Amino acid sequence: MDAKTDPSAISHLPDLAWPPAGVSDSVPFGVFTDQATYDLEQERVFRPTWNYLALEAEIPNAGDYKSTFLGDTPVVVTRDTEGEIHAWVNRCAHRGAMVCRENQGNNADGTYTCVYHQWAFDAKGDLIGVPFRRGLGGKGGYPKDFDMKEHGLQKVRVENYHGLIFGTFNEDLVDVEGFLGGEGDVSYHMKRILNRPLKVLGHTRQFVDSNWKIYAENTKDPYHASLLHLFHMTFGLYRSSQVGGVSLGDEWHSVLFASAGEEDESTKKENKENASRTYQEGYTLADMSLLAGRKEYDDGVTLVILSIMPSLVVQQIQNTLAVRQILPKGVDQFELVWTYFGYDDDDAEMDAIREKQVNLIGPAGLISMEDGEACELVQNAIIRDRDARSCIQMSGHDFKDEPHLVTEGPVRSFWNRYRLLMDF
Amino acid sequence: MSDQVRSDTRLSSVSRDVRDQIADLQADYIAALDSQDMKGWLASFDENNSSYFCRSKENEDEGLEVGYMFDDCHERICDRVKFVDEIWAGTFEEYQTRHFLQPTRCKSLGEDLYSAQTNFTVMYTDDAGITKVLASGCYDDEIVVNGVARLRSRKAVLDTNVVPRYMVYPI
Ligand code: FES
Ligand SMILES: [Fe+2]
Repeated sequence: MDAKTDPSAISHLPDLAWPPAGVSDSVPFGVFTDQATYDLEQERVFRPTWNYLALEAEIPNAGDYKSTFLGDTPVVVTRDTEGEIHAWVNRCAHRGAMVCRENQGNNADGTYTCVYHQWAFDAKGDLIGVPFRRGLGGKGGYPKDFDMKEHGLQKVRVENYHGLIFGTFNEDLVDVEGFLGGEGDVSYHMKRILNRPLKVLGHTRQFVDSNWKIYAENTKDPYHASLLHLFHMTFGLYRSSQVGGVSLGDEWHSVLFASAGEEDESTKKENKENASRTYQEGYTLADMSLLAGRKEYDDGVTLVILSIMPSLVVQQIQNTLAVRQILPKGVDQFELVWTYFGYDDDDAEMDAIREKQVNLIGPAGLISMEDGEACELVQNAIIRDRDARSCIQMSGHDFKDEPHLVTEGPVRSFWNRYRLLMDF
Repeated sequence: MSDQVRSDTRLSSVSRDVRDQIADLQADYIAALDSQDMKGWLASFDENNSSYFCRSKENEDEGLEVGYMFDDCHERICDRVKFVDEIWAGTFEEYQTRHFLQPTRCKSLGEDLYSAQTNFTVMYTDDAGITKVLASGCYDDEIVVNGVARLRSRKAVLDTNVVPRYMVYPI
């Protein structure tokens, strides 16, 4: 992080009515609708921080590459012929054309050639070839002082964190472990899920017509999970009364975790009395094997939602493992890219369990479809009243680790750090 | 595609009667979905043995089987009806779809089983009355035809690689 972490440095934009510095228990809706805010976020929130770019398992072989985005900037992640991982901005150093046009693939010779005038770059992003450099028949050509070394692609710093590849434009930023807050629950749960080599099972992608921060709030909000997602409640996958909690990492990342296991009857009853749209007891499925699964971790934790700001969610829900990449596409749209994975050493039965449980998550997921809907309901309703504010007060005004799930603390922590980074 | 292969998979390679039964199935299927009739959707599948998958062409091309929906047995197809009609009820916008189909290929797999490919475009209209494209792609089907046609398996493969919003109803 840079100098903006000093709370006394907060200055209020005159045109947005924020609560006092240090208290982020409500936010003005204008923060979700302003173009200037969106542009500033790319400079202050995305580019200088670690952003998720790829799974190492998506580019396993020398010459593999994947196109993606860091914030809204197109970047390409490559593995060179020696096996090293690099990333660069997908914009030709000549006149700015997109160099790599495929989502993913393999360039066995390690060369990336821009189609426009065929400048050629290597996997590191260095310029290695320029047509007509010395002209043709003594005519044209580049000036004598033209230095190939000065015309490489813009490089992105990368780190491979236990099989997740992160990128940043910030050369001074601490490593990913430090960015996650060092040793603590967030890095513990990251390493718990990323404990051995991964295997990609597939992708889904959706455009959600809302500001990316509405989704950031959603992934830090255990309050909504049992109220919005009735499938959770109906089949006991997640209830607010479950044993679980929230922990923060460097104050704006969070992990939300819950263990299966019976709640006591009185909590269960209290839980049910609090929800008006509630679930029916004793519901069964024609194929209950969807929920049978297999115990994978000794700790009995069946639900983990790691919200790593600004770009990533890592999740375990039952036996589904996935990363969700948040790609802002404008003030009122983001793309959510889901990458489902298992472990390299999964047996055939485990593959089958994960495949069918993918029904739980994604754009059509039994417990995630509604999040896209909820985000759009907010975006559609907040137009015009920029200074009207939300209320984020479940479990208080501050934020801390909490041993329960009835809280919006992680949402407040996100806004607190966001305001520091943005100087709001 | 060689002339030989093409003529073997042309629609005219199967009898008019079989084509009519398959056309009825396809029409019933989209009429059910376009009127949010999930039980009607279910009725398009062979109740003894059937599967339904919906995934992107990106995954299909990589040989990856997961995607938006993965109903690998008839029981799970039944359960999807329950999810939409009962469990999710009240949480999603009941968007209006319109499916447009164009059969392209059909061939006998022996006995009463046929394989068929059918292009689709699905439009959706939201509560505000605005119509957009939901998905474009191709159905890859195995169909049982014996007096009435039923889906043994349907794979809806989406060219649309980033779907708008979220998906409640099958394609
Ligand atoms: S813009 Fe790439 S070579 Fe000219
Ligand atoms: Fe949710």
